[in-house]
Amino acid sequence: MQLKRYLDLYALLQQDRSSRQERRAFGLSDAARGKEAADQLRAWTEAHQSLLPRPLLSEQVEGVLYHATLLLGIAALLLGIVTAAGLLSYSGKEPVNLVYFLAVAVLLPLVTMLLSLIAMFRANRSRNFLIHISPAYWLTRIIGFFDRKGSLTFHTVPLNPLILNWIIIRRSQLLALLFAIGMLLALLGVVATRDIAFAWSTTLQIDAAQFHAFVETLAFPWKAWLPSAVPSLPLVEQSHYFRLGGELSDTMVSHAAMLGAWWKFLAMATFVYAILLRFGMYLLAGWGLSRAIRRSMPAIDGADVLLRDMNEPLVTTHPDEKSLSSDMTQESFYQRTDTKLTPSYDAIVGWATPEETLLSLCDSFSVAASKCMEAGGSRTLEEDRHTLEALGGTVLLFVKAWEPPTMEFADFLEAVAKHVSKAVVVPVGTPKEGYAANARHKAVWERKLASLDYPNVWMLR
Amino acid sequence: MSPADYPRFAVVGHPNKGKSSIVASLAMDDAIAISDTPGTTTQKARYPLKVDGETLYELIDTPGFQRARGVLAWLKAHETDASRRHEAVHAFVNTHKEDARFHDEIELLEPIMEGAGIIYVVDGSKPYGEEYEAEMEILRWTGQPSMALINRIDEADYTQEWKQALSGYFQMIRTYDPMHATLSQHLKILESMAQLREEWTAQVKNSIALFERYHAMMRERSAAAIAKLLYRALSHVERLVLKEGEEAEEAKKRLTSRYKQRLRSFEVETQKRIEYIWNHQHLKKQQENLRLEGLDLFSKESASVFGLTRKELLVTGASSGAVTGAGIDLAFAGHTFFAGGIIGAVVGGVGAYLAFNELADIEVLGKKIGRRTLQMGPMQNRNFPYILLGRALFHTMHVAQLSHAVRQSVNFEMDENFRQQWLTDARRKQLEKYHKQFRQAKKTDEKVLIEYEALILEILDGLLAS
Repeated sequence: MQLKRYLDLYALLQQDRSSRQERRAFGLSDAARGKEAADQLRAWTEAHQSLLPRPLLSEQVEGVLYHATLLLGIAALLLGIVTAAGLLSYSGKEPVNLVYFLAVAVLLPLVTMLLSLIAMFRANRSRNFLIHISPAYWLTRIIGFFDRKGSLTFHTVPLNPLILNWIIIRRSQLLALLFAIGMLLALLGVVATRDIAFAWSTTLQIDAAQFHAFVETLAFPWKAWLPSAVPSLPLVEQSHYFRLGGELSDTMVSHAAMLGAWWKFLAMATFVYAILLRFGMYLLAGWGLSRAIRRSMPAIDGADVLLRDMNEPLVTTHPDEKSLSSDMTQESFYQRTDTKLTPSYDAIVGWATPEETLLSLCDSFSVAASKCMEAGGSRTLEEDRHTLEALGGTVLLFVKAWEPPTMEFADFLEAVAKHVSKAVVVPVGTPKEGYAANARHKAVWERKLASLDYPNVWMLR
Repeated sequence: MSPADYPRFAVVGHPNKGKSSIVASLAMDDAIAISDTPGTTTQKARYPLKVDGETLYELIDTPGFQRARGVLAWLKAHETDASRRHEAVHAFVNTHKEDARFHDEIELLEPIMEGAGIIYVVDGSKPYGEEYEAEMEILRWTGQPSMALINRIDEADYTQEWKQALSGYFQMIRTYDPMHATLSQHLKILESMAQLREEWTAQVKNSIALFERYHAMMRERSAAAIAKLLYRALSHVERLVLKEGEEAEEAKKRLTSRYKQRLRSFEVETQKRIEYIWNHQHLKKQQENLRLEGLDLFSKESASVFGLTRKELLVTGASSGAVTGAGIDLAFAGHTFFAGGIIGAVVGGVGAYLAFNELADIEVLGKKIGRRTLQMGPMQNRNFPYILLGRALFHTMHVAQLSHAVRQSVNFEMDENFRQQWLTDARRKQLEKYHKQFRQAKKTDEKVLIEYEALILEILDGLLAS
């Protein structure tokens, strides 16, 4: 997984306006279905990359990283050349002590590789001392310093520390690799252009046999196929140098050609320990970075929701088109209202009210009429017509306040309005409420009467 | 998919008896027009339950009966045979398609005659009336499977009266309160709907399983949103570049205000996200930004309702400090005679106690470079995470339990005992471990956030189950 994908996803999620439907549709497509989270995110990023503004954030960041790495890489290469040249500097008076060279070409790489391995194991920690001592860490600090003017948003990109650690580890391996290549080039250059007498010298009580055993161990990887690059015991014996002598001994001078044979061993040691192993570390760091990017992608802000949207079934219960309902809750005041009833009317009609209840209502409201009739309810329309024909004068019309006025009632009221001089609609409550209608129900009736607006129809408020 | 491939249910009844409320509740759609004015629904509206575009069943909201007796009179006049009543209803629908007088009846009968099951809604808080007979009779004539839902809109109870009246007309009678229905009540209604016709059973039962999963998904998403809110708020760092000649004290006030505002905006964003998760995008609140009865996030009242007491804070600070101190003891293999743990506990406890009202440290950056920047955060107040978390849980719990049929403004009533419902000593210790990490402001490992999210989900599940 590349850093580019991570940064593109980050940039996409910053501006993403996709709907749940789109995300789920993508989740069900072949590009994403059944895949791991990181692969799904990568597929999403690839599919939506065209939406990103140019230049891409990933290109900017990678561009800066590339240039900074190139600069430091050249510096590392030159440093390697200079270091090796320094270590191999030969005055002609004293032989070149190959122990120094081995320390830089073998020991130093092995130690730093061990530290790198420890850093890899601890890469998950945001505060990692080993990361902070790496030159590549300082590389990112330098980038940040030069980018303070804000021309690039590199240091504002919230890179997961895990990724940042692996970027540093990987780039450290690259710089070390270039340093080693520089050393090897310098070694080959110096050997080709100058005549160098190699020797080994140490204060430690090590004799030639022990030193031979040591170099033979070091030469183990190429011993079988390049025996000429493995120093022999006589060579080791011949090249043992004691500074106390002041100058080269006669024996050494007589074996000058032999002493130069060390270069093959040094070149192979540099190649195997400083270059080949380091290259392996570089590949390992690349794999680690790729894994870190895979692990970190779902942690980008918004990626968790995107993944859920892609993978969880999209349940909708909404209509494709919203209902064409009209909101009729507007206030409406009916002008023709009575606040009290008169004791007698020409007729009293109970809408959808059985006779027994109608009589109770008359008692309860202390009203009387020569005709008490039913309408609506379980009666037929024909029966309602007979009721209408019997109406005239002033009519009191009891209605159940809690039952909203239907068009059937509106039809009846229209007919009543034509037959009588005045009709008073009285919304009543339930028997449990003592027939007193509540204000909310009365308001419904009031609005209905206002919409019908018959001039001789009144309402008891 | 042709319409006959999935079950459909027409929700019908007298005007203003809560049909739309029931559809809104069952469809979990808070956008359906609901009002106490009869005739709000003038056209049928279909609410399909779709999973990845595939319809499992469909609810159809319909206008109420307006001229039921007129329809019944026509049907009776055109009845040829008692066994062919279904055809008479068909004939009525075909004959009156363009008749404005029977517009509402056509709207409600059409889907039934196309094969929809009937869900007949009545108000159980009002007495049964004889005017319902015509409606029920028409529905019986359609010959479609039917169930009656008794919806008690008000307090009074006429359920028994209704059950008696309805039993002669409907296969099944159930009670359902769309305003307060829980998930299990919702699912029970779906189970009843599944029994209406044998060939519908499998599909409707599938949707029951799906609804359960859907609900779990919503809880998980809410927990994730809350976990992220806590992480963002606790680790947030606000910076302010000092203007030339600006007094540091003045700038500190400005920075504190900006810091608080940012944290408030995180909370509001999360609340909106949670309302979206639970399909409550249209939720009307008394105050848009100062939700929760106008209790500001940083108010003393909020701290007293949702936060820890000074005593709890002392214990939390002490235990947190003791853990750090114990680390020192461990490093010295106990040669410190556990003084590290003791000192840590005392310092942590006293610090938390004294900093009861302090939010975060303010640092001045870049003094040497010349451009002075003030920095506030991450949050150091030990009490704040509990206030924020309490408020988020409270809001989520109410949104999750809020019926989609509610249309009036919502004002979540404060419960003084809410904290006791979820914040035990053991829970506080668990939470503090994560809050401590969030306060360190460094990017937290994804695993830690996932663990925290799981903890929040556990708390939320507990609250919703109680």
